[in-house]
Amino acid sequence: LKMNAPDQSEMFVLPEGKKKVEVEEDKKVPNACKYTIYLEDHTLGNILRMQLLRDNAVLFAGYRMPHPLENKMEVKVQTDGSKTPSEAVGGAVSCLKEEFSSLGQNFKRELESFHKRGGQLQQISMQQDIFKTLY
Amino acid sequence: MATEELPPHLEEMRTRVVVQSKSVDHAAGMDVADAFQSLGVDSSFSMEKFRNNFRIHVISSTEEELVFDMIGVDAPIANAFRRILIAEAPTMAIEKVFITNNTSILQDEVLAHRLGLIPLRVDPRKFDLREEGDEPTDRNTLIFKLHVQCERNPNGEESGTKPYSNDDVLSQHLLWEPQGNQAEVLALDPPEPVHPDILIAKLRPGQEIDVECHCEKGIGKTHAKWSPVATAAYRLLPAIDIVEEVVGDEARELVAKCPMKVFDIEDIGEGRERAVVVRPRDCSVCRECIRDAKFSRKVKVTRIRNHFIFSIESTGALSPKVLFGEAVKVLIDKCLRIKGQVEDIIAKR
Repeated sequence: LKMNAPDQSEMFVLPEGKKKVEVEEDKKVPNACKYTIYLEDHTLGNILRMQLLRDNAVLFAGYRMPHPLENKMEVKVQTDGSKTPSEAVGGAVSCLKEEFSSLGQNFKRELESFHKRGGQLQQISMQQDIFKTLY
Repeated sequence: MATEELPPHLEEMRTRVVVQSKSVDHAAGMDVADAFQSLGVDSSFSMEKFRNNFRIHVISSTEEELVFDMIGVDAPIANAFRRILIAEAPTMAIEKVFITNNTSILQDEVLAHRLGLIPLRVDPRKFDLREEGDEPTDRNTLIFKLHVQCERNPNGEESGTKPYSNDDVLSQHLLWEPQGNQAEVLALDPPEPVHPDILIAKLRPGQEIDVECHCEKGIGKTHAKWSPVATAAYRLLPAIDIVEEVVGDEARELVAKCPMKVFDIEDIGEGRERAVVVRPRDCSVCRECIRDAKFSRKVKVTRIRNHFIFSIESTGALSPKVLFGEAVKVLIDKCLRIKGQVEDIIAKR
C-alpha cells in the first residue's frame, strides 16, 4: 500500500452520493453559474469552453482545474439573459456531440474512399483541394 | 459564412498563425461568437457551417501508422483527440505477475515491470474492465505463461556456438492459456505479443524463469503500458507566401537555405529566375528562410489555424484507423454523460 498516493479508483469511479455535475449559482452577478464536473479534465473542459464562447448568448465562459491532483473541473458561465446558463451549457454539449458524430462518420467515409482509390492521394490535386476549402 | 468580408489583415489574424523569426503571432484562436461583431461579421457557431467546412483527407494508412488531415476544427478539438488517443483509449496489458520461480539476475519487480510493457495483439473491445474486488473471469482476464530454463550445452564450444541454450527470454516465449470459453471466442485471432523478438531477460545455465501473467484492460491514464499509441501527434499546415519577388542570385540562395526543400526555382523568361513555394507541407518551420534580414521582409511563414495534420502511430493492439474511431466514441460518451446531468439540472429549475 502506498502512503500518500490516492486510490486508483478515484480516477474513474464517482464516490457514493456525488453527482457528476454540480451547480452553484453566482450570487453577485446576474445569469451566472459555476459548474463543478467530476472526473473530467482539460480534454472536455477546453472544448466545452470553446463551444460556449461560440454561442451568441454567452457573455463569459471559462474553465479551470483547481488542482492537478484532484480529478475535477470547474466551468463558469454567464449569459446575457436570453438563455439560462444551464441551457447554454446543455446546448453546447449537444452541439459538440453532433459535431463529433458527424466527424466520425466523415472519417469512416473518407477512409473507405481512400482505400477504394487504392490508397493513393495525388500530391498536386491535394494542394489545390486544400487551399480551396479555406474558410 | 461571414456576412461581410473581413479586411485582409484581419482575415489573416483570424485564419493564420504568423511565425516570425523571434515570435509567434496570433497563436490563440478567435472563433468566439462576438469577434468582429462591430464589423458586421457573424462568427457564431452553426452546425451547417461546420458541416460545410469540415473535411478529412487521408494521406497514408498502414497497419502501423495513419496520417490524415483534419480541416475545419479548432485546436481544442484536435487536442482532445490527441489526449484521448494517448490516455483514454483502452488496451490489454499484463497487470499481475505470479512468480513461481525466478532465479535470473533480474529482480522480480523489474521482470514484472518489463512484462507489463510488452504490447499485446488483443482486441480490447472483446473484454470487460476488471474493477477492484472483481473476481478474475474469462471475460476480464487473459492468462499467459512464461517458462524458460537455460541449459548448458556441452557440445557448444566445439561446434563454435554458445555453450548454453535458451539463454535469451524473448516475448515469443509468452504462451497464451485459454480460459473458459476464450478458446472459441478468440479462435480466429489468438492473443500474442505484437513483436515476438522483444528481449525480456537474459539467462545463464541453471537459471530459470517460471511465471504466470494475468492481463487486464486499462487506460493510459492509469499507467503508460495501457496506451495504445506509440504516439499521436498533430501539427498545423504551414503556408508560406513570398510577398516580394525573390529573383536571381537571391532566389538561388533562398532555395539552398531551406533544409526541407520547400522552395524551387521558376524560370520567368529572359534568363531571369525567381523562387516559388512548391512543398509547403514539408516545411518543418525551422525559420531558416526568415532569419536573414534580406529575406524576412520578402518571405512570410504562417500556419493555417484550422488545418491539422494528424499522425497516429499504433503499438499494434488495434490498427490506427480503428483507434481513431474508438477515440470519437469515447468523446461522444463524455458529452452524453454531461448532457444527461445538465438536463436534470435544467428540469429541476
